[in-house]
Amino acid sequence: MTDTRGAGERLEELDAVEGLAVEPITQWDLFWTRLRRHRLAMVAAGVLTFMVLLVVLAPLLPFEDPTQRLLDDTGRTLRNIGPRGGILFGTDELGRDVLSRVVYGGRASLIVGGVTGALVCTMGTLVGSIAGYYPGPVDQSLMRFTDLVLGLPLLPVAIVVGRILPDVEWLPSWVGDGPIGIALLLGFLSWGGLARIVRAEFLSLREKEFVEAARAAGANDRRIVFRHILPNAISPIIVQTTLIVGIAIIVEAALSFLGFGIPPPTPTWGGIVSEGGRIAVRGFWWQLVFGGTALVVTVLSINFLGDGLRDALDPTQTIERK
Amino acid sequence: MFAYIIRRLVYGAVTLIALSFIVFMMLQAAGSPLDRLYLNNLLEDGFIEEVTRLWGLDQPLLVQYWKWLTNYVQPLDFSPQNIIPWIVLGIVAVAIAAIWRFAEPRFRPAWILGVVFVGAMVALRNMNIEFDWGISFNSGSTLVWDEVFSRAGATFRLGFTALGIALIVGIPLGIYQALRQYSFFDQLGTFSAFVAFSTPIFVIGVALQTYVAFRFEEWTGVKLFFVAGMTGDNYAQLSFIDQMGDIFRHLTLPAISIALISLAGYSRFQRASMLEVMRSDYLRTAKAKGLSRRTIIVKHALRNALIPIVTLVSIDIAFIIGGAIITESIFGWPGLGRKYIEALGVVDFPVIMAIVLVIGIGIVIMNIVADILYGVLDPRVRYD
Repeated sequence: MTDTRGAGERLEELDAVEGLAVEPITQWDLFWTRLRRHRLAMVAAGVLTFMVLLVVLAPLLPFEDPTQRLLDDTGRTLRNIGPRGGILFGTDELGRDVLSRVVYGGRASLIVGGVTGALVCTMGTLVGSIAGYYPGPVDQSLMRFTDLVLGLPLLPVAIVVGRILPDVEWLPSWVGDGPIGIALLLGFLSWGGLARIVRAEFLSLREKEFVEAARAAGANDRRIVFRHILPNAISPIIVQTTLIVGIAIIVEAALSFLGFGIPPPTPTWGGIVSEGGRIAVRGFWWQLVFGGTALVVTVLSINFLGDGLRDALDPTQTIERK
Repeated sequence: MFAYIIRRLVYGAVTLIALSFIVFMMLQAAGSPLDRLYLNNLLEDGFIEEVTRLWGLDQPLLVQYWKWLTNYVQPLDFSPQNIIPWIVLGIVAVAIAAIWRFAEPRFRPAWILGVVFVGAMVALRNMNIEFDWGISFNSGSTLVWDEVFSRAGATFRLGFTALGIALIVGIPLGIYQALRQYSFFDQLGTFSAFVAFSTPIFVIGVALQTYVAFRFEEWTGVKLFFVAGMTGDNYAQLSFIDQMGDIFRHLTLPAISIALISLAGYSRFQRASMLEVMRSDYLRTAKAKGLSRRTIIVKHALRNALIPIVTLVSIDIAFIIGGAIITESIFGWPGLGRKYIEALGVVDFPVIMAIVLVIGIGIVIMNIVADILYGVLDPRVRYD
């Protein structure tokens, strides 16, 4: 009777019988070991986790309402109060708590970053892999379209659309006024780079011997793409996506800074820096400093994490045993 | 080569048409610009209808777009009796013929580019040509061409200064880092570049404006830089030296806030490029021949390591223009970017469209120029 199980399974059984079982090192183990060794990336991952938790759990935590003014005992508004106990980040010109505005402002930024990243990752991979796997007219037309999208200058177009979105009446308000609309806009404008990268990966991978072997063994297109080519192209996809997430957060903040992003009173980091800059000339520095720091630290963490991922996903990098 | 340039120009034109079409349709999606007039309920009956008809806002969108596009490339008030542009055209033609005859084939494109660029600049200045870019909806009377053209110079000044700072500081920084790889300075440079990448231009701009210009003066009483504008009020009365100083004190901060991120990019790129060249076979040959370290670095490594930066500059142009939009509105710089933001505030269709297309044209042309330069500098590159 022939054994239909894979060779690996039989070997494992053999190991178990003879008590020689060795934990196999998978690609993921290598990846984790390399990533853990990148100290800055680990710190960055910690900071980002903290940020995400803070922003998601903000309504449950004892923060002030970011749109309500704080009053003192006599009922007067506490305007431009410097950082002190109880009001850690001070208050803004309208007497609102800057700490809670920075925390809630992070919601907009992180939603924009996350949604844009997901959108770019999906669209870029989809377009790039179709173009790379089916040469000829499909590839040509898709790439012409990609070139067109890449040719659009990001900021000028984003500013126009950001300005117009709230005025378009037939759009639902969660698209027009919220971070989702900005994220959709940025996603549609910035998937071109990833599509090009994925296409190039596919073009080179589909000629490799292991793909040919899979095809000879009778694998269909779906299996070849999802089991053989895509896993090998995952590294540039992840790295490029982290890059885009950082850029999306910066561009959203820039739009809000210019007044064409998410409309007030919803707090955004760009808006906080904009207001903070206006009053910092009078010595009220806390909005500018705390808003700006939150923005820079977040984007910096994303970039460091991206750098760590790039190193960890690079299979040519040797890993010395200790 | 020329087939390549023509093909790039055609692609560029298609991109520009797509860009203008998208922006045009986006602007239309928000309704008629006349809906936004604050005084709507104070106007006489029929006024809105009349203006709508006068400006052609009642026609189908595609008709409006087509009219706008054909008008955009339509010279208005072009005077053929003006002799200077024709002379310039003649000189350029003779110069190109001479280049074709005498210049080394490899350098022909660079020479021709230079001659065409200088010729176009001189011709544009003397032509008194205007294009029919419409009338500003906001003012109701000024020509868009005048509003946009008068501001292009300020943006040029800011953008090229920023590019210059980024190149002049970034490239030597990258080379130095590559020569001292993994030294403390190298690590510091890498870390600073990461921080610069992660800092939005507006944070840099606002911080510089608030602390280096404004608060510094309050603390020390020394006015180093100006907070806003391109020149002082009394600019015309100053002596030449003082005028230069005035320009410097206005230009430095906005230019630095744009340049910082590009600078970080150039230094990273230059470092990587230099390291790659240092590992190459021909450099090992140079070392084996016993050449001095100085000769190896300056004559063999540096020359080749400088070439790839040209491609980065071409990508960076769009970024610098985007940066100019932000910094100009922070520092009150009277350029295209600030006009763009102002026009968007009141949704002034013709001005927005004109500036978007000017930006697009600038990016397309700079990209083509950079690609040609790359081919000239690196003889291995061939265009087909």
